[in-house]
Amino acid sequence: MAEIDFEGVTKVFGAGPPAVDGLTLHVNEGEFMVLVGPSGCGKTTALRMLAGLEEISSGTLRIGGVVVNNTLPKDRDVAMVFQNYALYPNMSVEKNIGFALKIRGDSKSEIKRKVDEAAAILHLEDYLERRPKALSGGQRQRVAMGRAIVRSPRAFLMDEPLSNLDAKLRVEMRLEIARIQRLLGVATVYVTHDQVEAMTMGDRVAVMRDGKLQQVDTPQDLYDRPANEFVAGFMGSPPMNLIRCRVRSGEDRVEVVFGDQVVELPWHYTSSHTLPPSGVDVVVGVRPEDVLVADASSTNTIKARVERREALGSEILVHLSHLDVTVGTEVATRDDARVSTLVAKMGPRSSVSVGDVLSVQISPEHAHFFDAVTGATLREN
Amino acid sequence: MTTLATPPDTAPLDDTPAVPDRAPRRKVGRWILFAVMLAIAAVMLYPFWVMIFTSLKSEQQFLSGGGFSWLSWRDLTSVIPIGQEILSSTIVCSASILVILVVGLPAGFAFSKLRFRASTAVFLIMVSAMMVPLQAILMPEFVNVTRLHLTGGYLGAILVYAALGTPFSVFLFTTYFRGVPDELIEAGIVDGLGYFGALWRLVVPIAIPAIATVTVLQFIQIWDDLLVGLLFIQNTNERPITVGLAVLAAGRTTSIPELMAGSLISAVPAMVVYLIFQRYLVKGLTMGIDR
Ligand SMILES: Nc1ncnc2c1ncn2[C@@H]1O[C@H](COP(=O)(O)OP(=O)(O)O)[C@@H](O)[C@H]1O
Ligand SMILES: [Mg+2]
Repeated sequence: MAEIDFEGVTKVFGAGPPAVDGLTLHVNEGEFMVLVGPSGCGKTTALRMLAGLEEISSGTLRIGGVVVNNTLPKDRDVAMVFQNYALYPNMSVEKNIGFALKIRGDSKSEIKRKVDEAAAILHLEDYLERRPKALSGGQRQRVAMGRAIVRSPRAFLMDEPLSNLDAKLRVEMRLEIARIQRLLGVATVYVTHDQVEAMTMGDRVAVMRDGKLQQVDTPQDLYDRPANEFVAGFMGSPPMNLIRCRVRSGEDRVEVVFGDQVVELPWHYTSSHTLPPSGVDVVVGVRPEDVLVADASSTNTIKARVERREALGSEILVHLSHLDVTVGTEVATRDDARVSTLVAKMGPRSSVSVGDVLSVQISPEHAHFFDAVTGATLREN
Repeated sequence: MTTLATPPDTAPLDDTPAVPDRAPRRKVGRWILFAVMLAIAAVMLYPFWVMIFTSLKSEQQFLSGGGFSWLSWRDLTSVIPIGQEILSSTIVCSASILVILVVGLPAGFAFSKLRFRASTAVFLIMVSAMMVPLQAILMPEFVNVTRLHLTGGYLGAILVYAALGTPFSVFLFTTYFRGVPDELIEAGIVDGLGYFGALWRLVVPIAIPAIATVTVLQFIQIWDDLLVGLLFIQNTNERPITVGLAVLAAGRTTSIPELMAGSLISAVPAMVVYLIFQRYLVKGLTMGIDR
């Protein structure tokens, strides 16, 4: 068991932009750290540098306080689970799981004991004699896990281990992996592009984009206090609504204007956020669950028309269009083409239908504000 | 369509005429195929048939046409040292193939899995050596090997065969290993293997078809080769079977039945090796990898 320290770790492939750019990240002993971000953001590269499969261009990488920049993979004592499992096709499940121990020179009885123990944890006892080819996807995944846990390594590295499984199995294995990690208490770096996995599994989550770390926080903090527009848009499903508006402030009131509609903001935002001066654009972020249907008497509402209605059973997603709105800064919208709609999450029994014109309100406590140019949060502290 | 109007239970009855209609045609096709195969087999096996029957005659019987005799088989060992020659062929063949594999496997691994400067260029140069025919480099090779004073025994021939066979094996192994996922080797490396460990314990076991392919093709080529053996193995007590038979054939008083008997014996090992490995051959040549 050991803590892991990335300090300004950078990886440059050839002449291209850095795949990982100045990554500074601390993983505590026994911590489950999830590395999340869109495809191509450098997650795998970061993990491979940690495993020793990729050279580090610059920066310092420590495992258990010792610099490992030039340490061979076999001397790092970390175990890795690959996306496609990379099981040894010519060996039985038992041999697969015990292989690292055999190389290490453990005695036969020792190997047997540890393999049986790992197999019991993973419910693989009945498959020990089989070849990987004769296993289902879920079983292969378990063997890959077994190969990692049997070594009692100083750290687990996992690269999208669940992405080849079907949805149901994925949910199952998500819990299973989290359970095993907690059971063994080994520092884990878990890479995924799936924000649901990140939210549900991680003690802390590191969000990456274009090789750069955006924010590291607990899942809840990441959700409630995103550091920038990108994190705000990436975490959460459906994603946060990001609307570009103009600020209009007076002596004792502050409003945002989008198109021909004006909304007054609760005064407390002026003390918790550094809102820009009057006449400057800002990006307002509202989670779908914070878009509320207002009753007739409410003031300070936005008029919007229901364009689409997606019933998901436990909730209904309502896509609302509002007039004359330019959406978010480029920073946020490059990855997912978001149209100028506002998505609201409503109760399963709300009786909206396409074409209705609603008055909606933004939950007064839960708006987010981002710089319209840099995308950084305007929240203070 | 008429089937729409047909009641379901009578539909099979309507279909039945089609079956006997097509089946005989397919049967005829099979018979034609069979006949063609039989003809090919006959053409291929005819020389063996001639060899077998000729070898089972005495020289007198051969010249006069009829008769049966074990004489040529009984006398064979006294005419040429066939046991020694087969041993020599076996030694040269196995040693050459060993060198080809020992060089080709790591080279193929390096070309397919390691990133190093100018690997593509080196690979292309290496592989282009496959295009060079033996006859073109025979004289320079001979000069080289003579300068190394290796033209007496096995060693010179082994070196030449290995040099001729290695480019092909490098090519085959490189292409084969490209189909092996990188993660497999990386998993092994994270599990504690070095590159040679990964090659030996992970890659070689799944490369058996490729190894078998190289072994069979090289065995047949080297075992049946006369030219290199004739030039590079000058010690008469180390010469391979092909040279032995050539010498026998060149003799003034050659007994044709004895020559046939010797040829048959020399043909057997190549066939045996082929039969043992043939089930891997197709696999190896199509470079399919079982995952
Ligand atoms: N071996 C490589 N050679 C060149 N570029 C690479 C290599 N591996 C990854 N990259 C590049 O580095 C970036 C990050 O890749 P990767 O770490 O695989 O992203 P992720 O795992 O987050 O999807 C990508 O732009 C990718 O094209
Ligand atoms: Mg990846």
